[in-house]
Amino acid sequence: MPGKHMQNRLLAHSTPLILALILLAFVAGVALTGDRALARMAAETLVRVTLVVGLWIFVGNSGVISFGHAGYMAIGAYCSAWLTLKPQAKALFLPDLPVWLANAEWHVFPAAIASGFLAAFVALISGAAILRLSGIAASIATFAFLAIVYTVYSNWEGVTGATSSVVGLTRYVGPWVALAWAVAAIVAANLYANSASGLALRATREDEVAARASGIDQYRHRLLSLVISGFFTGVAGALFGHSLGVLNPDSFYLGITFIALAMLVVGGIGSLSGAVTGVLVLSLLIEALVRLEQGITIGEAALALPSGAQEILIGIVMILVLILRPAGLTGGAEFRLRARTPRLSFDQEQTTTN
Amino acid sequence: MSRLGVFDVSVRYGKVPALTDVTLHIGEGERIFISGPNGAGKSSLLKAISGAVPTAHGRIELDGDLLTGRPPEAVARLGLSMVPEGREIFGRLTVEENLRVGTGIRRDADAVEGDIAEIYRAFPILAERRHASAGALSGGQQQMLAIGRALMTNPKLMMVDEPSLGLAPKIVDQVYDTLVALQEERGLTLLIVEQSSVRAGRVGGRMILLRGGQVVGEGDAAAFADKDALTEAYFGKTGKEAAE
Amino acid sequence: MNTAAQLFFDAASLGGIYAMAALGIALIFGVMNLVNFAHGQYIAFCVFALIVPSTDAVAVMFLGRAPAFLLIPLLLAVGAAAAVASEYAVFRHLRKATPVAMMISSFALGFVIQNALLATYGGRPKAISLWPELNTPVTVMGASVPLLQLIVILATLTVVAGLALLLKKTRIGLEMRAAAENFTMARLLGVRANVVITGAFALSGALAAAVALIMATQTGVADVRMGGQIMLVAFIATVIGGLGSLPGAVAAGFLIGAVSVLLQAYLPLDARPFRDAFLYTLVIVSLLVRPQGLFVPSSAKPRV
Repeated sequence: MPGKHMQNRLLAHSTPLILALILLAFVAGVALTGDRALARMAAETLVRVTLVVGLWIFVGNSGVISFGHAGYMAIGAYCSAWLTLKPQAKALFLPDLPVWLANAEWHVFPAAIASGFLAAFVALISGAAILRLSGIAASIATFAFLAIVYTVYSNWEGVTGATSSVVGLTRYVGPWVALAWAVAAIVAANLYANSASGLALRATREDEVAARASGIDQYRHRLLSLVISGFFTGVAGALFGHSLGVLNPDSFYLGITFIALAMLVVGGIGSLSGAVTGVLVLSLLIEALVRLEQGITIGEAALALPSGAQEILIGIVMILVLILRPAGLTGGAEFRLRARTPRLSFDQEQTTTN
Repeated sequence: MSRLGVFDVSVRYGKVPALTDVTLHIGEGERIFISGPNGAGKSSLLKAISGAVPTAHGRIELDGDLLTGRPPEAVARLGLSMVPEGREIFGRLTVEENLRVGTGIRRDADAVEGDIAEIYRAFPILAERRHASAGALSGGQQQMLAIGRALMTNPKLMMVDEPSLGLAPKIVDQVYDTLVALQEERGLTLLIVEQSSVRAGRVGGRMILLRGGQVVGEGDAAAFADKDALTEAYFGKTGKEAAE
Repeated sequence: MNTAAQLFFDAASLGGIYAMAALGIALIFGVMNLVNFAHGQYIAFCVFALIVPSTDAVAVMFLGRAPAFLLIPLLLAVGAAAAVASEYAVFRHLRKATPVAMMISSFALGFVIQNALLATYGGRPKAISLWPELNTPVTVMGASVPLLQLIVILATLTVVAGLALLLKKTRIGLEMRAAAENFTMARLLGVRANVVITGAFALSGALAAAVALIMATQTGVADVRMGGQIMLVAFIATVIGGLGSLPGAVAAGFLIGAVSVLLQAYLPLDARPFRDAFLYTLVIVSLLVRPQGLFVPSSAKPRV
């Protein structure tokens, strides 16, 4: 039935629409409260959506866990700093930049795109090597990649400021800008996942050997997905810098790697909806925990969680999800409209285990 | 009382049934062949008995001890030993280490050395290569090793899955000669999965036919080997190929 | 001063630490296909077990006050207990999960342990003083070598030999090797899965404790981040040694130690801060050349 097939393919594109509407409702809700702390939280959350959706484009489709994406994020973040910071500031803090970069004074938007392209380019180079490995060996190699980026950026005194923070980035990313990029990432992720390459790649996810035997050029599809993934991860890095205003190599190491993977796993690696759900759920949890760490007063008693409690709790949630619901909260399903019954539902056709 | 009792056992992989209400009994010292075409459930039956896959329904007993619901290591402790399909020897261990892996469950530790000597007497080639890594043995030698390894647990019941798979006919003869000789010496109870009913008939014993996960016939193995018509009735078209 | 001898002792002692850490990881991988990212945190945990839990800046010795003949077995037991507890709490429930799911959960567990240490002890590195007399140099073969380096080299050899003996000569060792090769078959022969896995975790944890003792003595610092760096190197060693291969892990540990010392000695001064970047790049290159690992025959199938 070609008609029905066509309809199904169209309905697959309802997923980004639903996800975008959820995020829109989230931002609009926050904007209505007029609370500045909440607006900051919303912006951070949406930057994470861009990051985690970017990560999902590779991990979700290929099934290979990447510990290296914080590296692409760092590359994007610093690239945007190089392009947008005031030349006087760069002369002072980053004296070894080449002249054309030292004098550049771009607007944030083109800088973010350029950051995405730089990260995508590095993804192409690093992926060309790493993705020749299979499964777990590739995962460990991505870890080595992260360590390389971290070592370089924490020691490249005149170009990245090494371990001292780069300050003074335009704080241009509010909830609405972050929303626009998050939606762009979601649309791109959905387009890729439903493209010939994305479908072929997901066919290889379960069984590398069988896929290779069936003639799918797994390497090329993995590389393509990593390049797209690298682009959005790089953009997320740029957005991250322009929402905090400060950059430090430590922001792009194990902590963010952990949080991003936790979001992906908790939501469900198998689906785009899972990636977005994971970000929203864990961001709310983080926000609650941050407030508890700062301390709250109930009646007479002041309560405060020790620092580190946030990571401990997220780690425990992550382990529990892996044990009790290994396919994540969404079970690997997508939010999408069903034929004739236009309501939100989990479409089990898309169900896969990771 | 029978040595092995299988009562109404069903096994499912997800929603796909592999065995449906299988019942069979094996007496002490008996030799039973399980035969049937591919996908008949022969391997599933062995896996269910050994505890490698869970049963959806039914009960399995060895000398009155309940096996169902126990993990494989517990089943092995109750006296069941397995020579699996493809032999599954430990290639990186030496021949002698292979023989010793299963001796941890024995209560008569003093008898172990004597039993190893006995295995070496039955399979002189293994004695010769006792310190070689088992992965370097030929297919037939590996089959001998797998049998020896299973015997070393001192089992009440030994299950052998497709011993002829991938071996030259002459070697298969040798394997069966050894199995029969060992059984006569030790009073062992044997359950053998054998696709070729001709082979089973030649060796002799009781035969149980499986098809589509159910028992469809039972009788003297020699009778099945001779009666092509009967075989075909049970196996359908593939049966002829399977019978040879 | 004999430079070559100096470099040799530096490389052998650093490599020894890496080799022991890599062994701990390879043991677990061999038995249950788990890439245990929490291993580095077992090391950190053992270092902090030496001092009294408190967020004060000054460390007060706790277990570390015990005399060596008590402290060493005690800390090995602490490491073993930590690893076994983590198996019991987390990995036991993931036996049927995919290797990827187990790997991620170990990553999460490592984070939980690290942040638990952070919450208990505070984030700032603390100076600790464990057997400071071991850092006094002695002269060997014309090189001035801290006594500790010699002890590390000896300890590594002892540990490796002891482990080899244990695996080769004992019942549990035989069962572990059989299980590492074919877990299902081993169980069909009556090998108890829980015993073997618990044994592997206990050994792995004890190895982590040995690394912790050496690092604590050598650096004189307790830092919640100290597990991460060593763990990454150890992982890389297990991968280039051939995942799951114990001799491979040891050889690769020594190799990485040697390369790292050589890079430190011969890289131009400007490039030295980037030593680790060079090291990891070399690792990726070596994986590309021999994806199945440097120390396994190229005919062997990669296990993952």
